[in-house]
Amino acid sequence: MNEETKNTVDIDEALYRPIYETGKSFYFAVGFLLFIIGFTLVVYIRQVYYGLGVTGMNQPVTWGFYIVNFVFFVGISHAGTLISAILRLSKAEWRRPITRMAEVITAIVLAIGGLHPIIDLGRPDRVLNIFTAGRLQSPLLWDVTSITAYFTASTVYLYLPMIPDIAKLRDRGGKMVWFYEFLSWGWHGTEHQKKVLSRAINILMVMVIPIAISVHTVISYIFSMTLQPGWHSTIFGPYFVVGAIFSGIAALMIVMISFRKYFHLENYLKLVHFRHLGTLLLIMSLLWFYFTFSEYLTGVFGAEPHEMDVIFYKFTGTYAIFFWGMVVCNFLIPVVILAFKKFKTIPGILIASISVVIGMWLERLNIVIPSLANPRMGLDMGMYTPSFTEWTLFIGGLAVFVLGFLVFSKFFPIISIWEIEEGRKESVKEVEKRVTSYLPDPANSVE
Amino acid sequence: MPKWAMAIDLDKCTGCGDCMAACKLENNVAIVDAEQAADDRVMLWMDMMTIYEGEYPNIKLKRIPKPCFHCDNPPCIKVCPVHATYKNEEGLVAQIYNRCIGCRYCMAACPYTAKVFNWYEPEWADEFKTCMNPDVSLRMKGVVEKCSFCAHRLQKVKENARADDREISDGEYSPACADSCPAEAIFFGDLENKESKVFKLSNSPRAFRELEDLGTIPKVFYLSEKE
Amino acid sequence: MKTINNELRDKIIFAAQLVSISLIWLLVIGIIFWISNLIYLSVDLKDSPGISIGISLVAIPVFITLASILTYVFVGFHREKKKHLNTDSGN
Repeated sequence: MNEETKNTVDIDEALYRPIYETGKSFYFAVGFLLFIIGFTLVVYIRQVYYGLGVTGMNQPVTWGFYIVNFVFFVGISHAGTLISAILRLSKAEWRRPITRMAEVITAIVLAIGGLHPIIDLGRPDRVLNIFTAGRLQSPLLWDVTSITAYFTASTVYLYLPMIPDIAKLRDRGGKMVWFYEFLSWGWHGTEHQKKVLSRAINILMVMVIPIAISVHTVISYIFSMTLQPGWHSTIFGPYFVVGAIFSGIAALMIVMISFRKYFHLENYLKLVHFRHLGTLLLIMSLLWFYFTFSEYLTGVFGAEPHEMDVIFYKFTGTYAIFFWGMVVCNFLIPVVILAFKKFKTIPGILIASISVVIGMWLERLNIVIPSLANPRMGLDMGMYTPSFTEWTLFIGGLAVFVLGFLVFSKFFPIISIWEIEEGRKESVKEVEKRVTSYLPDPANSVE
Repeated sequence: MPKWAMAIDLDKCTGCGDCMAACKLENNVAIVDAEQAADDRVMLWMDMMTIYEGEYPNIKLKRIPKPCFHCDNPPCIKVCPVHATYKNEEGLVAQIYNRCIGCRYCMAACPYTAKVFNWYEPEWADEFKTCMNPDVSLRMKGVVEKCSFCAHRLQKVKENARADDREISDGEYSPACADSCPAEAIFFGDLENKESKVFKLSNSPRAFRELEDLGTIPKVFYLSEKE
Repeated sequence: MKTINNELRDKIIFAAQLVSISLIWLLVIGIIFWISNLIYLSVDLKDSPGISIGISLVAIPVFITLASILTYVFVGFHREKKKHLNTDSGN
């Protein structure tokens, strides 16, 4: 028993290293991020003190960066749990080093995204009114409910598959044994415990998929439940979900590439993982284009005047640069890079992913602002320029994301160690068996 | 139950903007400074739409007063997360300033852009502070507000009518904009009262409502021969 | 002395785990209270209560299932551990 643990420790030592070895750059990075977050907090308190006037929002454009970033961050959060659940459900063996990171993204980004509507409130002090006097009939409350459900589900879904790894850290001793003992829930890797855990994970992964889809559908409902041109569209639910998974995969690959470089995990996150994810990204890019095309074609063909105001605003008006930038970032660049094996290298995939994340942010911008900036009844066109406050809060949100990841990697392995071990020990045989079962039986055995 | 409605005769309206000024004074609507006004944060319960048609030199100018339309089927109240905007028993779309959390969803959902938001703590010049209307509550920063059809006037009218034990007569309850209009282009009254001026005007062949195809059923009628 | 400390430590950790698992139930119960309050409000104000009830029918079971899964895992782990200890002492 002792020998075996020692042995495995040696093999996967690289995955423990980030937890036990802390370099100067780590403290520097944390300090820097905390400084940004502290500054953001000051800026936010200033906004609460003076009122939303410090933002760039105005009369027809009553929603700005905060709502754009809300939709964007919650979209990114779909990386995780949804992708990890789909990969687990489809028994994709290459998922093993990816799932943990994906799930962490969900938990952190969802917390950031979920805060944005509160940042957006004119009276954050009255937010508890939604408990005492809420209307469950309002799409905003649907959001509160489904984001709470998704956050709970994805945290549980992050935590349960982490228990065996926490137990490993506990058994290693060293720092904060009590903490790991508390979290490991008495895991000893017995057969019964393994059965319980795998059953729980199986139920969860089936459950998490509809919850994840509901979250972004409901966010799209915020817009599509109104009568506004450009928003009132039945395609919005699936369109938002596709966009969310799309940006989620891209964000996941950016995170994977940074960790691979930062913690020297080249041995675990191989090119093949990125190629597989890159193929998924390519499929999502095509799907995204299909949805965008359908959405705008129906608008242009129907040519309802108010709808056309919004569409022209995007195609040729003030937002043309953002609209066509979005098409380039979300469709042209990723498709060109990911369709050719020659470009499908790590740097190529990184460029495609960054372009998709930017493109998806532009998409959210293109959905929220133009519809508000073109009020009906021949009123003046609105103009929106984000203020310093809004930019700071955006950067602060990104800083919280990075900090969350850094802190997580200090306490828990960023790649699921026991799943890698399990893969090494069992899945080769299992996959062989599975593949054999797909093949036709030998001819004489049927007779 | 009465159904309070407004009719604005655009053929009579001169576009002078007196209704806007009367409304601001009547309802203690904050007066934003010039810098804020340049940022499109003017607070008007009674707005004036200015629409230019044609090209220079043949420009046609339309001036259309626009209050809240107090829709029978208001899109704004459906989306409010906290019951801060609702249709009261008089059929008026009312705001509860003390409950509003300032999410501005109702503003985004209103197809007529009738609502305004307090981007800062509302301020008035010292001269104005002495002539505030004591019947209308002051709003605070971070809440949404809009035309109430001068609901505080309705309260007074109702009390008077109850004291005299009679029905409210036509034209007794009238908001500040209608009272102030020098061209007498704004009419106000009860649609349920078949004798009222507003009921007759609403059935005039000149009458139309804004964006009727949305099914919001506004209670503000415009009258115009040209439209 | 050391064994007593260890026992106490185990007990404290187990208590902390129990508290954490009851917190999730607290959350679920809180959410149920909240949603039923909102349904009561919507019925009271005749404000399309059908929608509220529809949402609650989906939301409440989801939260209950999530908490149940966690509890199932917790109980499953510890039952096994107890059995483990019993057989150990028996030997």
